[in-house]
Amino acid sequence: MNIDRVFDKTYYWIDDNARRTSLALARRLSRRNFLSKLGMFIAGAASFPLLPVARSFAQESVQEVGDPQTCEYWRYCAMSGTLCACCGGTYTSCPPGSEASPITWVGTCTNPVDGRNYLMSYNDCCGKAVCARCGCHNTEGDKPVYFNSNSSTVLWCFGTENTSYHCTVSLVLGAADEN
Amino acid sequence: MRFFTPIALGFSLVAPLAFAQITPEEITVETMSEPGENWFIGKTGNGGYIFDATTGEMHGMLSLSRYTPAVTHYAPRREFYATESYLARGSYGERTDIVAVYDYENLRPIAEIVIPNYMARLAVRGHLGLLNNGRHLAVLNMNPGHSVTVVDVEDRVFVYEASTPGCAVIMPVAENDFMQVCGDGTLQLIQLDLSGFEANRVRSDVFFNVIEDAVFDRVASSANGWFLITHRGRIFHVTTDDDEILIEDGWKPHLEGEERWQPGGRNEVITAHHESGLIYVAMHEGPIDTHHEPGTEIWVLDSNTQRRVGRIELETPANSILVTQEDEPKLLIADSAGGTHVYNAVTFTKERSIQIPDSTAFEDF
Repeated sequence: MNIDRVFDKTYYWIDDNARRTSLALARRLSRRNFLSKLGMFIAGAASFPLLPVARSFAQESVQEVGDPQTCEYWRYCAMSGTLCACCGGTYTSCPPGSEASPITWVGTCTNPVDGRNYLMSYNDCCGKAVCARCGCHNTEGDKPVYFNSNSSTVLWCFGTENTSYHCTVSLVLGAADEN
Repeated sequence: MRFFTPIALGFSLVAPLAFAQITPEEITVETMSEPGENWFIGKTGNGGYIFDATTGEMHGMLSLSRYTPAVTHYAPRREFYATESYLARGSYGERTDIVAVYDYENLRPIAEIVIPNYMARLAVRGHLGLLNNGRHLAVLNMNPGHSVTVVDVEDRVFVYEASTPGCAVIMPVAENDFMQVCGDGTLQLIQLDLSGFEANRVRSDVFFNVIEDAVFDRVASSANGWFLITHRGRIFHVTTDDDEILIEDGWKPHLEGEERWQPGGRNEVITAHHESGLIYVAMHEGPIDTHHEPGTEIWVLDSNTQRRVGRIELETPANSILVTQEDEPKLLIADSAGGTHVYNAVTFTKERSIQIPDSTAFEDF
């Protein structure tokens, strides 16, 4: 019985204090002032998780060495296909008129310039006849078809309007040793 | 000139008389004769070349789509089945995937069954399998998630699609069942009912690690199950007993000092002769992650004793192999330069080379 009374008194004290504080704030602050403070808080909070990522992307771009029209180019360690760099595109861009597949397989390649490992995404360019130049088939870390995120033999023209394979590009997604 | 003119005139009168004695020939079209021993299909990017491995003679050709993963044959109905994929305008346009049915006599398409248009367009022999006494054909899909399409090739209808996330390859077992290899290091058994719908699904214990030493997605049928091989050459024999998956202990055929020898090739790296239990594997010397390097040798292994019984050195490394199932079997080898060769699979001696342009795999029938 006494315990119930103690709980009632506590709840009453909390309610009463909340009511008084709200009334005091309402008397001293305008509604616009409250909204501006709230907006600042939300914007500030949203920027916090971005900071480490932004610092990461703010680093210098990846330094390149070698000929991107050869299979030995460092980005191609887990490449399988024909090189878009030989077909009117570059190692990061599809040739004219082709369509970049949004779904990819991945690998990890070491850049000989800085000795760092980079997470690579291999995107197929699709919707045109195969560009049969500069064939390249490397199998570092390659896995069988049942583990297809790491399988280089799969034709990755998924999610594109046309599913014919044209050639392949290699994009750096980030340094593999970053947290 | 005065001398030649009468001679020319004479010939012009005689010539029609000479030709008039020959009956004009008429063009004809061959039909297939009864298949003999060691007949096989050499599958390429545009068709299946039918050969007799004993004579080296070609008998006919199946026209297949360039994306066809494999083709199979069902003797009692005298039909071939192939999964094919077409784009309406060749390199673009609407995609249509089908199971095409070809008759044996004329090698012509006689029926087609439209299937979900995301079959796995990879040249892998184990991406289709006949079940239920040739009634159902299972086809592997990738979109990019894996699933399996089941088609009734007798009634020519699509039946069912089973979602099989993380698992690929189709290894028919028992009457209506098939096993698959999964990325978590297990096997999956899917049992179908008589209509081709999934009735039961079972997973094995983990028996390999895909990161450390993955099982190839190329497999070889045995007398009662399947042989699997890992990238580093460990061999497993797997069977089923009703809804139980049985995995025998793995073994390696390597002798001391041969650790750098690995199985490898772009297509089918392992094949087995059911009756003798001999396994043939394309092998090369190299570090890890060279599992697509063509085999400089074929290792012949006796699955009964789990020992190597022969090594066949090749002039040109092998990308794909198949042993026929006859009493006097032939070992078929597609090399990395586009050539095809026939070996005696018992004496390991080369018998002949055959021209099958860029053959990627073989099918025995």
